[in-house]
Amino acid sequence: MKRFKILITILTLGTLMFACTEDFLEYKPKGTVSGDQLNTPERVDKMCIAAYSALGNDHWTVPYTSLWPYGSVRSDNSYKGGGGTADVPGFNKLEQFAFITTDMSDGDLLWHRLFIGVSRANKALKRLEELSEDEFAKKTTRMAEMRFLRGHFNFLLKINFKHIPYIHEDIPADSLKNISNRKYSSQELWDKIAADFEYAQNNLPADQEDVGRADKFKAKAYLAKTLLYQAYEQDKEYNVVNIDQQKLERVVSLVNDVIGSGKYDLFDDYAKNFLWQYENGPESVFAIQNSIDDGTESGRLDMGNGLNHNMASEYGCCWFHIPSQNLVNAYETSADGLPLFDTFNQSDMKDSAQFQDNTVDPRLDHTVGIPGHPFKYKPDFVYQTGWARTPNIYGYYSTMKEIQQPDCPCFKKVGPFYASSKNTIVIRYADVLLWKAEALIELGREDEALPIINRIRGRAQQSTGRLERSNGDPISNYSMQTYKPGENCTWTQDFARKALRWERRLEFAMEGWRFYDLVRWGIAAETINSYFEEEKTKREYLKEAHFTENRDEYLPIPQQQIDFSEGTYKQNPGW
Amino acid sequence: MKRSILLLILFNVLVVMGYAQQKQVSGQVTDKTSNEPLPGVSIVEKGTQNGTITDANGNYTITVEQGDSLVFTFVGMQRKVVPVGSANTVNVAMIEKVQELEQVVVTGYQTQKKADLTGAVSTVDEDVIEESTSGNPVKSLQGQVSGLFVETSGAPNADATIRIRGLSTLGNNDPLFIIDGMPTKSGMVQDLHPNEIKSIQVLKDAAASSIYGARASNGVVIIETKQADEGVKVQFNSSAAVQNYHTKLDVLNTQERGRALWRASINDGLDPNERPLYDYEWHTNDQGHAVLDEVKPVEWIDKEAGIRSANTNWYDEISRTGVITSNNLTVSSGGDRGGVLMSLSYYGNKGVVKENDFNRISGRLNSDYSFFDGRLKIGENLQISKSKETPMPSGLGGTPLWLGLIAQPILPVKTVDGDWAGPIGAGFSDRNNPVRLIEHNKWDKNHTVKTFGNLFAELEIVKNLNFKSTFGIDYTNYHNWDIQRTYQAGFLGRNINSLNKRQEHNLNWTWSNTLNYQYDFGKHSGNVLAGMEAIKNDFRYFSAYREEFAIEELEYFTMNAGTGLKNNTGSITGYQLLSYFGKVNYSYADKYYASATLRYDGSSRFGEKNKFGFFPAYSLGWRISNESFFEDNIDVISNLKLRFGWGQTGNQEIANDARFALYRPNYGEDSDEIMWEPGEGTAYDISGNDSGTLPSGFMATQTANPAIKWEATTETNIGADFGFFKDKLVGSFDYFMRETNDILIQPPFIAVQGEGGSQWVNGASVETSGFEVSLRHKNSLGDFTYDVAFNLGSFSDEITYLPESVVDAYPGNSEKTIIGHSMQSIFGYVADGIFQNEQQVQEHAEQPGKDVGRIRYKDLNDDGEITPLDQRYLGVEHPDFEYGLNTQLSYKNFSFSFFFQGVQGIEVYNDMKYRTDFVGQWTGANFGARTLDAWSPKNKDSNIPALSLSDKNNENRPSTYYVENGSYLKLRHFQIGYTLPDKMLERVGLSHLKVYLRGENVFMIKDTNGDDQFTAPDPENPDMAYPRPRKFILGLNLSL
Repeated sequence: MKRFKILITILTLGTLMFACTEDFLEYKPKGTVSGDQLNTPERVDKMCIAAYSALGNDHWTVPYTSLWPYGSVRSDNSYKGGGGTADVPGFNKLEQFAFITTDMSDGDLLWHRLFIGVSRANKALKRLEELSEDEFAKKTTRMAEMRFLRGHFNFLLKINFKHIPYIHEDIPADSLKNISNRKYSSQELWDKIAADFEYAQNNLPADQEDVGRADKFKAKAYLAKTLLYQAYEQDKEYNVVNIDQQKLERVVSLVNDVIGSGKYDLFDDYAKNFLWQYENGPESVFAIQNSIDDGTESGRLDMGNGLNHNMASEYGCCWFHIPSQNLVNAYETSADGLPLFDTFNQSDMKDSAQFQDNTVDPRLDHTVGIPGHPFKYKPDFVYQTGWARTPNIYGYYSTMKEIQQPDCPCFKKVGPFYASSKNTIVIRYADVLLWKAEALIELGREDEALPIINRIRGRAQQSTGRLERSNGDPISNYSMQTYKPGENCTWTQDFARKALRWERRLEFAMEGWRFYDLVRWGIAAETINSYFEEEKTKREYLKEAHFTENRDEYLPIPQQQIDFSEGTYKQNPGW
Repeated sequence: MKRSILLLILFNVLVVMGYAQQKQVSGQVTDKTSNEPLPGVSIVEKGTQNGTITDANGNYTITVEQGDSLVFTFVGMQRKVVPVGSANTVNVAMIEKVQELEQVVVTGYQTQKKADLTGAVSTVDEDVIEESTSGNPVKSLQGQVSGLFVETSGAPNADATIRIRGLSTLGNNDPLFIIDGMPTKSGMVQDLHPNEIKSIQVLKDAAASSIYGARASNGVVIIETKQADEGVKVQFNSSAAVQNYHTKLDVLNTQERGRALWRASINDGLDPNERPLYDYEWHTNDQGHAVLDEVKPVEWIDKEAGIRSANTNWYDEISRTGVITSNNLTVSSGGDRGGVLMSLSYYGNKGVVKENDFNRISGRLNSDYSFFDGRLKIGENLQISKSKETPMPSGLGGTPLWLGLIAQPILPVKTVDGDWAGPIGAGFSDRNNPVRLIEHNKWDKNHTVKTFGNLFAELEIVKNLNFKSTFGIDYTNYHNWDIQRTYQAGFLGRNINSLNKRQEHNLNWTWSNTLNYQYDFGKHSGNVLAGMEAIKNDFRYFSAYREEFAIEELEYFTMNAGTGLKNNTGSITGYQLLSYFGKVNYSYADKYYASATLRYDGSSRFGEKNKFGFFPAYSLGWRISNESFFEDNIDVISNLKLRFGWGQTGNQEIANDARFALYRPNYGEDSDEIMWEPGEGTAYDISGNDSGTLPSGFMATQTANPAIKWEATTETNIGADFGFFKDKLVGSFDYFMRETNDILIQPPFIAVQGEGGSQWVNGASVETSGFEVSLRHKNSLGDFTYDVAFNLGSFSDEITYLPESVVDAYPGNSEKTIIGHSMQSIFGYVADGIFQNEQQVQEHAEQPGKDVGRIRYKDLNDDGEITPLDQRYLGVEHPDFEYGLNTQLSYKNFSFSFFFQGVQGIEVYNDMKYRTDFVGQWTGANFGARTLDAWSPKNKDSNIPALSLSDKNNENRPSTYYVENGSYLKLRHFQIGYTLPDKMLERVGLSHLKVYLRGENVFMIKDTNGDDQFTAPDPENPDMAYPRPRKFILGLNLSL
């Protein structure tokens, strides 16, 4: 009996011990979805939203849509700014070129963020393709939108890195690293990018239910831009060797379509482009839709500009993206109101009086914060020298276009930084018009370009309404004129080209495109090195700065990515 | 504490005693082992001088008050206290004091005699833990156990990081803790009050730890808490300490900072008077050198804001003398049929940073009870603790400790109107006034309630066959709130206040069942163990956020009082483990030992194909000293045992959902998240409304890996234990080799994949080897006894394999990779002194920014150009060896102890040097006093580069300039104690009373010479984390 009891006990305990089965190890993740669950029309439509939202994740550590460190700081328009050269040191390397290395994280980050955009568009495209028109009536429209977005991100990759792997939705994940960045030539890559915009313009409606979505004319405009860049053919060392006339013709005709749509116009006042109140207005062709009070803690703001507010107590941080002395000088006008193409930089406009004694283009006070000048169209909000953070290094100016008025409801403090829900404009109508002017000039039809350039100048000339001091006086001594051949100039192709390039610099200063313009025109090395030569006498920190021709036109392919590709990617020349 | 109060507690919580009545008690005292009667045993009625001794037959008779206790003492035996109760006969069996080798060690689901161990196991003395003031038992292990590397900070509530035998994996290297049989990785151990711990065992090699299978590869620490002994015991321990911040960084004052900036401007060829905040009078002397005559700081930094220039020492402003109090009351009562131990502890630590404090109240109840003549024992161990912390704030630009360096001395704490001063105007960095930061965060609190404990039943099925079932829980409830107040300090400010509350629930339960069979057949003895264990973890949290509170008072900050934006988030996750295991221990004639372990572990974290893993181990031992040839011939050596062990263990520290392909919606990150890094939002204002609810999509976050499995560590250990001179000198030596394969990593992936390319894979391999030595010498010379223990541990690790895609995640370049190097390697340029003259500059390779007074970098590949290829491995950030020397001396009633601990052969990357040596890296900050000694044409011997307002030479690149010798030797503590004589104590009814004075972190030696000297105050703390304060402690231990 005793033995029996022991046996029972052991058996019972044994059962207890092994009662648990492998079912016990089952586990389902919470709060996530698997890929297959996404294949319904509603969810695929949401995947398209996710692709759009890749536009809105811009950030000051890698401003891949506002582009200021890459397109503005790398040019003659601006300095990095901030607390010193070691404050965000990667941008300092970009500014000075000499310190850029192939493995610097800033290049890798930019590459990475832009490919996230490409990949979100591809992930949506792949799922869209698997739906039928019956299941999802908007299938083709959405596909065209996704190709527009993919075109946008590839365009930015192309102008920064030149040779990129072209990734489309049908490449399986495990063979991605076999896609070389040299599979296509530079021109073929442009064709690929253009093909996306081509598809978009053919398949998108003229108007969309949502202002943020791509539509036919946005696609046409972006296609025009792509073809304009493509027209300037570069050799392997980035020298511009030919300008493709057919492409330029196509640019003109596409821009004519955009103009003909009647959807767009120039604002009467240049200022409205840079004020939240007027966003999505007639001059905004394609803009990134930022938002505030949208249910997220701080809003989906333009964090890409988070560093760029000056040190006024209303802002407070961090005074990055500082207009160069060279840029300020470029706004000086001659006695007859035209740019001083050759002599502008012979003396500096610095002290308040100099902005009264000389005459200037009004766009100066839309663009640059200057001590003693009212800031951002507020007569009582006068820029102080103390608003500059490290004047001994970077001078006293600050950037203004991307900054909103401190009392704007669009404006939010995010930790030490400020950001706003003002849209980031990627394409504005003035830009579209000047592409046409540029194409016309290179086609030898400079006379047709004249009215366009004058239209831009004329609007600028009129844009002084918000540039007043509290006593009603104009902030600076404005004087500018349109080009009047025979009267104040001789309108030859060379002169027209010079005028156009000058116009683009002033019209779009600090908007992030200057460096790419210089590379497109093939004049980056000469322009930037002569800028450094003069500027380093005023800014000691630029002593080592140097642009290496046939190398610095593009960023190096990030070494990290070359390594990931196991050598499939080839480094850009010069590195 | 008066005796009456203690008695009252005794009354209330423990036993109800009878009314005082005289009665006669008699009985016999025997030796428990031999059963022989013990003559000459002293018996005293507790708390009185009433006493007697046993006669030749061990018998005694005494008249006592009913309800009192008798105290039995005898040389070589453990003291014993027995309550009389109503009995008239009290027989007592006394137990011999345990000898070192007879000590019983808990080795995982079973106990073994120390003499029988074949694995590498270390034990820690309880008094080492008891008298430390850190409040965290883990911290007191630093330097006490060979091969155990502990990193701590001096923060009131800092967790300590433990590494057993160094690093074995690229991921989580934390050991597994077993507290009273319950496995945990939750950090519960840091909440144990040191006085509640009975023993700590460290299972270092795989042979010892493999019984814990898939979670044991980083070693196992087993902690047993105290249980009730026979008799009634009341113990009270109390200590109070003052602590201060004695390792403050030497920073510039207002005048000195002005001088440094002047020098930098002159060096750069700039006009110093163009700089904000300072005016200078200076001239050029005959030799053409600039000479500074006077530094004149501006009077007002901003007159409108009322900020008058000052000379603030921010380190003084943020710090204070801290106070630590620690109290523990333990009451226990035990008898033949079981016992109860209750313990109540309080630990309070007001840190050396203002407002930063931590306190914890914990209660413990351990009890057990036997039935059926001891064949069934049931019991429980339970601890509940509640802690509250005011954390050190981390605001704009870092913690107050960091800001103490960054904030400029010219800035006052307050404006003339009494508002907070802050950076304003030119010349400042955008960093907070640290005093404001402290003041405005003092309402922030972290509350933690932890419940940790188990219920067990142990049944003797037949003699020597025992079944034990244990069910335990480990539950943490964490709750914090973070209040952000509005402020304006200079140009920094915040115009909306907010409250964020977060609650976390982390519940683990463990159910384990074991069968244990002891056998002893003549010369063959040992045991057999079989068992199973099931573990389930469930973690969930939620947090809520609200903005705009009309009144800024602490009591007003509740969620319903806010009127602005609302936000919330949360998640749920968990895992399960299921294990089966067995172990056989065998010994022959106390000479030959063998042990084998098998564990079969399943984890919900792993893929379908690899749910279960198999972890075998074996070990062998040979006690040579028990061989007759040895015993007969060698006298000096009293013990010698050789050990060999081999085993495999695992590591499963990856995300719970690591094996799945995942997509998730990401409506948008919180401010804290998008402040410093790009967001990955999936919501977009597609309709251009600028506000309102946005449509949102999904993002890919992870790629599936159904084949994922645990990391496997294989370890071989060779060791020896030895004793000389009748075990007056004992010690051990261990050498180990360890190889970890299939290390779980999440390789970075090619960017064209976009998001969701992240995947957990079994990838890398690491080899670690090392050795440990421990020596201990105990002796007494009359009334003087001494006990000196020394230990030393050393390890080195080497990454032997990494997938291509992972190599770049570690320091290296396209030519040199981390493979073959330690995972803690430093990589960078070689700083080759300072250019002394123009000729040296010209002769040197092309180096953008090179100039007189600047750092010269070595052209390692001699290609005439300094490029990323001119980098190499510069050192390893773990020590060649770590050692400890613990000495305890006693003479009569006095005791004296001191403990030295040190590390040797460690390279430290001193980030601080960016700030202490340079002006141009960040001109708006304050700098270290070292800048005053920078290179200049008149100070050419300096190894600090010339001051400059910019960093043209890119001197913040990683280089040997920042690599310093982090070796140190510290007097961790000394202690002088006095134990009151028994006779005096018995008169007042106490059985033990000790008072002591203790000092911690009193003294340090570090490298102060040469280019690699350590330039910051504390090599243990190169990055200005929370300082380890110097402490002086007064304490008392009292037993009733």
